[in-house]
Amino acid sequence: MIGTIGFIGLGIMGRPMALNLLQGGFPLRVSSRRRERAEPLEAAGAVYCPSPREAAAGSDIIFTMVSDTKDVEEVILGKEGAVHGTRPGSVIVDMSTISPQATVEIEKELARRGIEMLDAPVSGGETGAIGGTLSIMVGGKEETFGRVKPLFDLLGKKIVHIGKSGAGQVAKACNQIIITMGIYGVAEAYILAGKNGLDPAKTREALLGGFAASRILEFHGKRMLDRDFRPGFRARLHQKDLGIVVDSAHKLGLALPGVALGSQLVNALVGGGDGELDCSALIKVLERLNP
Amino acid sequence: MIKRVGFIGLGAMGRPMALNILRGGFGLSVYARRPEAAEPLLKAGAGWCRTPAQLAGETDIFITMITSTADVERVTFGVDGLIEGAKPGSVLVDMSTISPAKTRDIARRLAEKGVEMLDAPVSGGEIGAKEATLSIMVGGDDDTLARVMPVLSCLGKNIVRVGPSGAGQVTKACNQLVLLVAIQALAEAFTFARASGVDLGKLSEALSGGMAGSRILEVLGKRMIERQYQNGIEARLHYKDIQLVLEEAANLGLALPGAALVTQLFNALIGRGKGREDSSQLIEIVEGISFARSG
Repeated sequence: MIGTIGFIGLGIMGRPMALNLLQGGFPLRVSSRRRERAEPLEAAGAVYCPSPREAAAGSDIIFTMVSDTKDVEEVILGKEGAVHGTRPGSVIVDMSTISPQATVEIEKELARRGIEMLDAPVSGGETGAIGGTLSIMVGGKEETFGRVKPLFDLLGKKIVHIGKSGAGQVAKACNQIIITMGIYGVAEAYILAGKNGLDPAKTREALLGGFAASRILEFHGKRMLDRDFRPGFRARLHQKDLGIVVDSAHKLGLALPGVALGSQLVNALVGGGDGELDCSALIKVLERLNP
Repeated sequence: MIKRVGFIGLGAMGRPMALNILRGGFGLSVYARRPEAAEPLLKAGAGWCRTPAQLAGETDIFITMITSTADVERVTFGVDGLIEGAKPGSVLVDMSTISPAKTRDIARRLAEKGVEMLDAPVSGGEIGAKEATLSIMVGGDDDTLARVMPVLSCLGKNIVRVGPSGAGQVTKACNQLVLLVAIQALAEAFTFARASGVDLGKLSEALSGGMAGSRILEVLGKRMIERQYQNGIEARLHYKDIQLVLEEAANLGLALPGAALVTQLFNALIGRGKGREDSSQLIEIVEGISFARSG
């Protein structure tokens, strides 16, 4: 039985997600660093709490959706963190994209206090968050996953329990590897096509019929053609996620040369002042290499 | 006038460096995480301090030579850290290889307490440390460097002030970037030559006379040819340094593709448990991408 839900982090992703939970009929306690972020939710019936601790108090399931590893540590384990308000037996579900290794550490710390944790990062962007069509990759105990599943159903479509604690974050890192290299591949293909005088739109159309067809070619490929780099997924967040991948490779002693190269180009994109653009703007860096 | 120097970190580099300061006629106070590391110095006349704070209280200049950025922060600002004992006007000379950005932070925080700081990382390895022939790359004020010059002169030959706080660490990062990418280039060239049936000894001899001649070719090339990786520079230390380069590149919004790629090969080397052996072993990774080696 799920009674009240807590939701911490009301950014571009968190706010529509929290709204979907509220519309699912669950009482909701929300917390956000910036109070004004909570206003539309309060208007819809949510209770605003000044701290993660208070949002967790009385909640059976507590979601976190914040920017990075440090933020998750702060909102869960920090001085005013959710852990101080959470009852034993309740579940904290972290839907942020953070380090898999740090996730395992947080899960252990919570387990010592009898609190369950799932890592459940998402893919699908703002559109998926608003429409409740996110892909959700879940790590943690099967039984805990079963308890939270009805809520995941309000947030997403493709919901997969992948394995133990941290497995969701590893899957998200894999997702980022494939997306990065996919964007990178499409951008290089456009450069080659363009320099040979081809019409990139026709090239794309042809490729979409064959083995190079992909969501990336379809969506990011279209954005590159239209030079429409409104986010989408912001380059600076992409840079942060790639940092997690590269850091994991480092910790595991793995060579992942492709993503390492891709992350350097994303550095240059962000460094060039385009951090707020969609990550498909990566093609701009390749254009600078090939003026 | 400097009377007494403090030295923190008595590892493979720090110990011979501290000894050279003692030989230069300065009084010396030492601190290390493991007290037994100090024994040879105590025998030679150095005084032991129980904490960095105590060491800072009894010296005018204190040198740190430790492993990581976090270590330097801990020794400086942690419990019983340098800042708790340091007198206004005293100088921290950090000779470790750490983050340039964090170095600027540390210098700023020390300045608030009237303590000056130089970043002064070195190149030249254990041999350079013993023979007092290190290259020292200094960031910080000219006047501060002038004050500590008599001490640094006991440690190295080529002492260059590169710029303001952090500039020494940037220079060291550049040094490591050039070094590691060159090691990869050499490993690739040797793999190419071996696969083509060319004798590596002859190849080295030929290359050393031209534009591709380098210290890397001379020293690490030999180890690659002999497949002797036991002595030299531990790969894990190079690895730590290249991480600093990449961290800074991300902060500055720079693409450094070569550095990123060589780091991945170092990942593979460390992942195979070879972190305490010489970096020339990178050739085994490069070869391994193309050829499955038995055993």
